[in-house]
Amino acid sequence: MDVAARGLGKATSRSGERALGIAALVAVVVSATLSLVVAPPDAVQGEVQRLMYVHVPAAWLAYLSFFAVFVASVAYLKTRRIRWDRIAAASAEIGVLFTALAIALGALWGKPIWGTWWTWDPRLTTTAMLLLIYLAYLAVRRVVDNPSRRARWAAVIGIVGFVDVPIVHLSVVWWRSLHQQATLLRIGGPEIHGSMLTALLVGVAAFTLVYAYLMTLRLRVGRLEERAVREALSPQVGELEEADA
Amino acid sequence: MDENVGYLVAGYAITAVALGGYVLRLLARAREARRRADVVASRRRG
Repeated sequence: MDVAARGLGKATSRSGERALGIAALVAVVVSATLSLVVAPPDAVQGEVQRLMYVHVPAAWLAYLSFFAVFVASVAYLKTRRIRWDRIAAASAEIGVLFTALAIALGALWGKPIWGTWWTWDPRLTTTAMLLLIYLAYLAVRRVVDNPSRRARWAAVIGIVGFVDVPIVHLSVVWWRSLHQQATLLRIGGPEIHGSMLTALLVGVAAFTLVYAYLMTLRLRVGRLEERAVREALSPQVGELEEADA
Repeated sequence: MDENVGYLVAGYAITAVALGGYVLRLLARAREARRRADVVASRRRG
């Protein structure tokens, strides 16, 4: 676990952050080119199907973000090291962004294809619950002042809240749903055109790099904000911490 | 042209604004936190 934390420390250095930012930007440009230019329009849905190249990666990255919250929350409760709490907080904030984006993009696709922006379908409803759970997680972080109590309460929500992620993913299997079944993770392999599959996989890779970049940036913000508080409350501690960094 | 292309444009625009906006907000938060810490530190020293 310490090795993982040290590796993350290296990635969050300023040079690592800059390199990740450039890599993410290049990947997003490549992904947009494959999605909007190279991949053919869908035979039935037409151009609007291209929204799937951002909707699906956003949904996957929401899962990944909340998985990181889950892992970091378990690690915090086990080690009581505040670094894990910082990682969980950063990933939850980014996960909320990706979840909201996935819902918005799904609504934009749903209006022309399903004829409605929103329906109380199992997949949509459990995804809305996911968004509410992690908004509550962020709200708890804001209202609890004591840092160790805040970290402890947040870790519990981060672990319990993750239960909804497999429910969201399997909702289309467990219940009768308007939402389509899994496209990639299905028995017999994916059944989409090769260039569409490439665009989708590159989209997932690009969003993963964006997530990694946002994490490094958000962790730096967290460290700087904590340093600002330390400087204000205890000058000597602040100076020592700054010298250590 | 496909009559639904407006939804596609809106989707990609929302994605760019959401991700780009979040990056800019984080950069602004980092600048502000550093400025706050530096102001407190310089007052104490000087």
